Amino acid sequence: MKTYPTLAIQLNDISKKYEIHHDKPTLVERFSKEKNETFWALKNINLTINKGEKIGIIGSNGSGKTTLLKILAGITTPTSGDVHIQGRIVSLIDLGAGFHADLSGYQNIYLNAMLLGLSRKEINERVQQIITFADLKQFIDAPLFTYSNGMMLRLGFSIAVHAQPDILLLDENLSAGDNAFQKRAAERLRVFFRKELTIVVVSHNIAYIRKMCSRIIWIDKGSVLADGNHQVLHKYLKRK
Amino acid sequence: MINQALHFWELLWEMTEKELRARYKHTVFGFLWLVANPALQMLIIGFIFPLFFETQIEHYSFYLFTGLLAWNFFSLSLSKATPSIVFERSLVKKAMFPRAVIPLSIVMSNFINYTVALVIFLIPVLFLNTLSLKSCIFFLVGMTALVVLAAGISLLTSALNVRYRDINFFVQALLIIWFYATPIVYAPSQLPEALLWLWRFNPLTSVIQLMHHALIQAPLPDAILLSYNALIIVAVSVIGVYIFSKESKNFDDWL
Repeated sequence: MKTYPTLAIQLNDISKKYEIHHDKPTLVERFSKEKNETFWALKNINLTINKGEKIGIIGSNGSGKTTLLKILAGITTPTSGDVHIQGRIVSLIDLGAGFHADLSGYQNIYLNAMLLGLSRKEINERVQQIITFADLKQFIDAPLFTYSNGMMLRLGFSIAVHAQPDILLLDENLSAGDNAFQKRAAERLRVFFRKELTIVVVSHNIAYIRKMCSRIIWIDKGSVLADGNHQVLHKYLKRK
Repeated sequence: MINQALHFWELLWEMTEKELRARYKHTVFGFLWLVANPALQMLIIGFIFPLFFETQIEHYSFYLFTGLLAWNFFSLSLSKATPSIVFERSLVKKAMFPRAVIPLSIVMSNFINYTVALVIFLIPVLFLNTLSLKSCIFFLVGMTALVVLAAGISLLTSALNVRYRDINFFVQALLIIWFYATPIVYAPSQLPEALLWLWRFNPLTSVIQLMHHALIQAPLPDAILLSYNALIIVAVSVIGVYIFSKESKNFDDWL
């Protein structure tokens, strides 16, 4: 397959099947039950996203948005089809995840940033910026279990935006920290939106998507129902 | 490709440090425990055990401790690595990274514990005058096989445990049996000869025997046993890597 320099994300005929497990899976159940129920979260999705595009993904609950995002982030793998991703992809969706309660904020920065794909050298260069942006100066040596939820989210956000993503995944409810931090976070995101960064937003907030995204993808029952400009939003709202 | 390999090692090391730090953090003695535990165990086995037990095995407390150190590393690695991916589900759900660093970092942190204990243990061993370059090589071969086996099985069980949570209980039960199936408290020479072939299926037999030979000049494992054991170690590790890479793609679906 040819990859073009402008290509950011290419999905070829992606499908994702989930097995529905009603209870904890155990070996005995596995053999006693005849066949697991299955559910196709995504069916034959084809998608080409170029560098710098700002994509809004809309759809009702259970339409497959989250699954699509997980596949883009590499957290799960499609049952069939190929995923091609150019560059570093960072998700702002689960900011509180991946921290270790017993380690200090400082040590968590290294661990978390490495999970996002940064090298130790890159982290060394940025660790001060990360701490400053998260506004955690005097707490950075304290173990994470002493942090409030807001502090943890601030740290998560700061690490993610300093990871220099090429592709950013986010949803609208970025409720990290107090008003002052929210302002700074929103400002940082606006900078990202102005840059040559590929951004995929998943949201139910139509106003936000209208403001931030130029291309809208409407997903329904695991398939792409519409893909285009703001007209898709009108169709989506009318259908509701 | 080189970058990826480098990142894998960096991440593995970071996770290992996390493992060690988290274990000894908020303890008054901190990393001193790393030394204190094996030293205490050594004192008990060295001075108190011989008062109660009589055996034909030469240098019995050394014999016992050599096996116990290796066994502690192996069983701790396995019992902690098996449920590790389920425990670290928040990492798996966070980002794309080589999942293998989760169980392997546990094996590695236990290996560091093991090495520290070993260095302390080698001090009294030096007085036995059994160490030579040749014995060092034998020991390293045994240790490499031990680590490869621990890593291979950990990959296998941690991957399977995501989908089948019974594996964790199975491993706990297996470890109890495995301890007695390994020549740690007894020597192979004490076993009935007709049953000796059974030990060919326990790859730890050769590993421990190599270590015994290296430190206290106990007899080497025979060629048939050694080749059976080596074959099993290689096979288990290959299966472990294969199953892990296959299962790890869909860990998120089961967490």
